[in-house]
Amino acid sequence: MTRHTTLLRRFALILIGLGAVSVGSALYIPAKAALAQVLLERAWAKARAGETSARPWSWADIEPVAEIEVPRLHQRVIVLEGASGAAMAFGPGHMENTAAIGARGTAVVAAHRDTQFSFLGELKQGDIITAVTADGVQKSFRVVETRVVRADASALDPEDGGPTGSRLALVTCYPFSGVLHSPLRYVVLADHDNRG
Amino acid sequence: MRRLKASSKAHDLRVTFRSAQIFLLLLLSTILLTAMAVRTRAQPQEPSCAQGLMRKSEAGTGTLLLRTAVPGCYLPAPRVAADFDIDIAGPVARTRVTQRFENPAEGWVEGVYLFPLPENSAVDTLKMKIGDRFIEGQIKERQTARRIYEAAKAEGKKASLVEQERPNVFTNSVANIGPHETIVVQIEYQESLRYDSGRFHLRVPLVVAPRYNPVPQATLVQYREGSQYSVFDPVPDRERLEAPVLRPEEGKVNPVSLEVRLEAGFPLGAITSDSHAISVVRNGATGAAIALTQGEEPADRDFTLTFAPAPGSDPAVSLLKETKSDGNYYLALIVPRGTETAARSRPREAVFILDNSGSMGGESIRQAKASLLLALDRLQPADRFNVIRFDDTMTQLFRTSVDATPENVSYAKGFVSNIEARGGTVMLPALLAALSDPTPNDRSRLRQVIFLTDGAVGNESQLFTAIDEKLGRSRLFTVGIGSAPNSYFMSGAARAGRGTYTYISSADQVQPRMAELFAKLERPVMTELSAEWPDALKGESWPNPLPDLYAGEPVLVTLKGTDSGGVLTLSGNIAGRQWRTTLDLSQARDAKGIEKLWARSKIAAIDESRVQGADPAQIDTAILAVALEHHLASRLTSLVAVDVTPSRPENLILSSAQVPLNLPAGWDFGKVFGGDTPVRQDHAQLNVPDSLLTTVMLTKAPPAAVQPNDAGLVLPQGGTDARLLLIIGLILLGLAGVLLTRERIARAGSRQ
Repeated sequence: MTRHTTLLRRFALILIGLGAVSVGSALYIPAKAALAQVLLERAWAKARAGETSARPWSWADIEPVAEIEVPRLHQRVIVLEGASGAAMAFGPGHMENTAAIGARGTAVVAAHRDTQFSFLGELKQGDIITAVTADGVQKSFRVVETRVVRADASALDPEDGGPTGSRLALVTCYPFSGVLHSPLRYVVLADHDNRG
Repeated sequence: MRRLKASSKAHDLRVTFRSAQIFLLLLLSTILLTAMAVRTRAQPQEPSCAQGLMRKSEAGTGTLLLRTAVPGCYLPAPRVAADFDIDIAGPVARTRVTQRFENPAEGWVEGVYLFPLPENSAVDTLKMKIGDRFIEGQIKERQTARRIYEAAKAEGKKASLVEQERPNVFTNSVANIGPHETIVVQIEYQESLRYDSGRFHLRVPLVVAPRYNPVPQATLVQYREGSQYSVFDPVPDRERLEAPVLRPEEGKVNPVSLEVRLEAGFPLGAITSDSHAISVVRNGATGAAIALTQGEEPADRDFTLTFAPAPGSDPAVSLLKETKSDGNYYLALIVPRGTETAARSRPREAVFILDNSGSMGGESIRQAKASLLLALDRLQPADRFNVIRFDDTMTQLFRTSVDATPENVSYAKGFVSNIEARGGTVMLPALLAALSDPTPNDRSRLRQVIFLTDGAVGNESQLFTAIDEKLGRSRLFTVGIGSAPNSYFMSGAARAGRGTYTYISSADQVQPRMAELFAKLERPVMTELSAEWPDALKGESWPNPLPDLYAGEPVLVTLKGTDSGGVLTLSGNIAGRQWRTTLDLSQARDAKGIEKLWARSKIAAIDESRVQGADPAQIDTAILAVALEHHLASRLTSLVAVDVTPSRPENLILSSAQVPLNLPAGWDFGKVFGGDTPVRQDHAQLNVPDSLLTTVMLTKAPPAAVQPNDAGLVLPQGGTDARLLLIIGLILLGLAGVLLTRERIARAGSRQ
């Protein structure tokens, strides 16, 4: 009987340990993303000041390329070059192989649904998204459409900039409250706004 | 006992029940742990790239990568180092360009290099060096040459194909460069130097500047039966003029070395270069050897060399002759004398056009504005003027030209000072506005259009035609700005506009070059120029008719004749006075390459007749005949060299890649390739970053990795594991809690 309880207690302790690690890493992910945005803020200020390849911390292999703001939702994020898992852990990533933000074609920016792009679901048609690139140029985009697509059938073409020639696509995982990795993506399409 | 037995039975049951519970808990946690392990292992594992391609992480520093159709996979860009070996003999030069194609990739590659040559160059020789062998290129009709090349490429043979895209832009395609292999290709051309204001000018363009190619225009055409769209593309060969351009922060590529052997034939004065640091070693009074001080420089701006005769030895005449089996070829360069005293010409109406498109951003726009301000200061009160600026929009300062009063001039100077470079290069409307003349018969004034631009457009022929049609009494003067202006546009527009061209390549050139231009604008022009060759020669001379001469310019004429000897008479009219000079042809010096220059001049003349509305089919036939007969590359003929034996194993694929080019020195990348240009509906296609997007096409695509085009981009994972981890963690903690509670109950039970 005693032997049995000791075993049970030991096992419970192991479970507590594992559980604590899991919860810890779960909390670390958003914390890392939040801290990274603070460091990115500084790197971004440097990049804006004309410093080429401003890195947020000395060993970082990522670079801020733009900032995106949704005035209506009071959301503002710094976008990194590249949408690799490593870059996206810190902030929204601008996908390589897509147009530069504000240039002709479609620029795709992806981020996690549970950190920087948790607000994506609140965007609706007509919302204004402003983007400032490292050279200080500000561009306004107007949300024209939101859609849910399969990750491997997004129908996004980086060379097609939509009717205004320049398009911004914000991408995150769908459904927003999902827990497991999903093959679906939520895409917000915004076209360059001539009025802004 | 019974009770005890019963209790023991109950206990057994409880134990069994608890064991089952524990077993279930264990099972559940095992499942959860496995799930976690799988999660960790399922971290994105990058698929490896197809043969010859690599990931960014695999490339060493300094490797230039080209994007491919496979996302995340890159091809190390082929590189070209060039060497120019230039022999100048009097007013003609022969150049041998050696291009070394280097393939840094692991796979087999076709390198495609877009490169410039002088707009009047006669390209006659192509050699491909493989090991110690030279393979001589053949001149073929363009399509035939292309077919020969494609066949060799498919068979795995090394081959080189030199095609003319514009008179000053060529493409060299080199097929089947092996992994880490270098292939050497040599191209040779002949040219005549430009003589202007007492000095000879050599210009070696080293980089093709990114061009602005206006979008095709669709016009709704009405017929009685209905209507239909007709589409006119001002740049039908747009994709042939586009090459990947490096961002300045990616460093410079394509190193160039250059050596000039100069034998002027007259005592030499100053030898200078406005573009590069040069070292000059004199060789007697008339010769010199010139090289780049740095040894190698990146191909990011034109090389210019100027040499002047020693004071007092100004040669008024150069007469060269080459004897070939089919006749004698002459080239005469005559500097008119005794015309300097001619009176200042009539009052002028000057219309200035300033190109402030994105390609002018940086150094160029400052030089252009400085030049224009200088020109405005130069206006006399009797003159009239106007200023037009354009990018993909356009502003005309005054509705019609106004008097050059101090108020008007100072207003215009304020306007010019505030102009900034941005946007596309939509040249045609500005040109048409400048050439529109409300008083076409007013002979009291000279109407001059002064056009400051880098000519970075691809629709040259459309513009030439417009200039020719609308010119009237106006004369067009182009001022080429920047480190790599489009020389074909500069000289062609000036010729169609019956004016002349000037180059300004740096800030300290503004003053002296503009002073020369003012002399041309203000001094009388020599018209009705004609060359009379001896009848016995039965000659054919080009250009024909001869263009008007501006102050400081010489007559340059080439002739093919059967006989030799006799006297050449040149005559013209300057400010109402007759000018005349004679040349004894028997005095001609023997020289090489005059035949090529004559043929090149003839091709240019035939091509220009298209502007005046000659039948395109006839023009093509005529050019083809001349080019084939004289072994010249042209719009319709290409040079192709093919190795005899295949070198690429059949099972290996061949990638094709364009050699990346430098952004011309002084250019602002953002201004050219977008960033701050407002994108409007009608100009949505205008920013031409195409060349930056896709650069590599796999000739034989690897089956697995190709991304289906119609399905669009593959989007990255958009959620973290935070929630899942949190849930797993909480369940584990919960389980632990249950276990501990159970255990405590059990212990409490056993204590009883």
